[in-house]
Amino acid sequence: MSTLADHGDAPEGGWDALVIGTGIGGGTLGRRLAEAGMRVLFLEKGQADARSAENGLSEVALPEARAVRGLWPAPLTATVDGITQRFFAPLGSGPGGSSVFYAATLERPDRHDIDDTPGRPHPTGGWPLGFDTLAPSYAEAARLYRVYGTPDPLSPEVPLPLRAPPPLTAVEARLFDRLQRSGLHPYHAPTGIERIDGCRMCLGRKCPKACKMDGRSAGVEPALATGRARLVTGAEVTRLVMDGDRIAAVEATVDGTSRRFTARRIVLAGGALGSPRVLLRSACEDWPDGVANRSGLVGRNLMFHLNEILAVWPGLDGPPTKAVSFRDLYHRDGQRLGTVQAMGIRASYGEITYYLQRMLEGTRLAPLAPVARLPAALAARLLGSAQILVGLLEDLPYRENRVGADGHIHYTLHDELKARRRVFRRALRQAFRGQRGLLLGIAPDLNWGHPCGTLRFGHDPAHSVLRADGRTHDVENLWVADASFMPTSMGVNPSLTIAAFALHVADGMLGGRK
Amino acid sequence: MRVTPEDGIVVVTGAGSGLGRALAHVFAHKGFAVAGLGRRAEALEETAALCPGFFAVPVDIADAGAVRAAFATLPAPAVLVNNAAIYPRRDLLAETGESWAETVNSNLNGLVNCTLAALGPMVQRGQGRILNVATFADLNPLPGAAAYSVSKGAARIFTRALIADITDRFPGIVVSDWMPGMLATKMGIRDGLDPATAAAWGATLALLRDPSLTGSTFEMDREILPPRGLKNRVKDALLLRRRRPRVLSDL
Repeated sequence: MSTLADHGDAPEGGWDALVIGTGIGGGTLGRRLAEAGMRVLFLEKGQADARSAENGLSEVALPEARAVRGLWPAPLTATVDGITQRFFAPLGSGPGGSSVFYAATLERPDRHDIDDTPGRPHPTGGWPLGFDTLAPSYAEAARLYRVYGTPDPLSPEVPLPLRAPPPLTAVEARLFDRLQRSGLHPYHAPTGIERIDGCRMCLGRKCPKACKMDGRSAGVEPALATGRARLVTGAEVTRLVMDGDRIAAVEATVDGTSRRFTARRIVLAGGALGSPRVLLRSACEDWPDGVANRSGLVGRNLMFHLNEILAVWPGLDGPPTKAVSFRDLYHRDGQRLGTVQAMGIRASYGEITYYLQRMLEGTRLAPLAPVARLPAALAARLLGSAQILVGLLEDLPYRENRVGADGHIHYTLHDELKARRRVFRRALRQAFRGQRGLLLGIAPDLNWGHPCGTLRFGHDPAHSVLRADGRTHDVENLWVADASFMPTSMGVNPSLTIAAFALHVADGMLGGRK
Repeated sequence: MRVTPEDGIVVVTGAGSGLGRALAHVFAHKGFAVAGLGRRAEALEETAALCPGFFAVPVDIADAGAVRAAFATLPAPAVLVNNAAIYPRRDLLAETGESWAETVNSNLNGLVNCTLAALGPMVQRGQGRILNVATFADLNPLPGAAAYSVSKGAARIFTRALIADITDRFPGIVVSDWMPGMLATKMGIRDGLDPATAAAWGATLALLRDPSLTGSTFEMDREILPPRGLKNRVKDALLLRRRRPRVLSDL
């Protein structure tokens, strides 16, 4: 079968760098290292899949069936405000990680997401790398991911290098027009799709061609093409074997056999839920609280976004759009809110049923969930041509929000977040006043596909896990290149930031090569 | 969306006689290279004499290893028509474990063997067409047709299981069942339909590859919709989505 090469026979030693995880972080970093001449071994927990596969996220239940589809095999267990739920999160496992399912939105955050700015103080005092320091990495990431779109008209910054977007469809033009007439400032969302011949805009599902740019097509595949990288799939890292302040070996189970891989540099890129687990599971005599965890912060400060789902009727029928984004509500009345963007779906019967049921879950109305089908059927008739928008509300870091060694998530919705959510919803209602729009959510809806923050970077080893260059404070040959590093969750999708940081980390590793 | 000879070859099982030979004939005259599988080499040669571009692949489809080896020698298949079946008329009291297994090995396992072998190259290209020649024999098994009814019924379940496992990942591989009708073949009835007539329908259906055909059942030249209960029929009417069966001449 045509798969990404599964080099189960790859040598276990002699690598310049060993990259654990092949999502946007690991894939982008591994590509950069391999293209610069390093010998790179990728270890990917998920299975290699036929390159022609084009499935999306699904509720397929058997772990084996999930694994072959590149879905995270096990349900997530999360205790939110004391209520424990088990559910399948929108996470991937396989070459490309979760990014093979993403909608290719590659937004650069605003300056205040990263820097402490006048009038917009940063909750952590600012990231250890400033907006201007990271800007070249963002630009490089936008080039590698072939991003097209138009700049945010509200931004005073030098725009990303964006390719020209395709012309707006009638539905998109109508949405732009309506938003502009409401005094908003929409722009063509930055999107990482090559748009080759026969492009089918694989938003939310695997792209069978090297067209949607993700951790596979823009990361692992170009890395393998250098001839200096190899990929072992089905390799679940069980622990890091320590020798003092260095990692001596990476122990992984491959096809049921335990193997030890060695490299001069180890890069952890298993995602904000996966990477801290590897460190915590690797606890040993010298590292009783987990590897690289002298700060006690490994797995902590877990953040998501809150989704505010909104149906908007452009008054025209047409294919779903992903092209519209605006930041008019990004920061309001001294509060961090977030971006609003089209989700790339239309309201169909299934989606509305899903949202209605999610709305009822966890409320006293939960027994009514099956009844949601009927209003959903009516809504589908009414909303047939509605486009779905989502507002991403920034989440802030709290020490007790965390993922444990067993993968169990503990999360508390703080009053501060709930208050900002009220402000955000009010702002959304105002923004769409006079238009046909409907906020679909009732209960806060955590975006389980956007976890971050669990290995935050910073200058002070007592208050952060990583240094500014992505290396851990505690372990000299261990770097991290995924969403774990983020001290705050920003008001935009994390993908481009993960890619930009991965490039920054790679550059540091290459600079320190001699 | 139709399969063309440039997309690859057509594989027909049971091509040495009856409907299989008639199908091979239609595909061959539409310009397709046809690989015909069957147990009897001489019967396949007779088919070959009637069909330009036909190559005989003598193999017992019940033998998984032999099927794998046979497919390994073939160009990539664009279409697989699982037509081969045996229909022993035998009272259940006269069946033995061995005679029963022979029917299941041919009608169910043989179909599975050929499907698995064809899926390799189809998955690689993300494209293909699998048409399973099926029957309603499983709904009301006739006396004397136990092994046939059970094995052919199980083959219909296999169609659904195959769809459950691959269609979300590879929607370009289109899988469906086709009931040819009662034919005037050795397996069928004396006053049945001319197999050439049925083969024309079957070949047309096998060359259609619109993903919406996956999971459909056609009988002769028209679609058989799954039965809907009263509640669902009312819902369909309310939602203005009552489905009409498709007819081959419109597709």
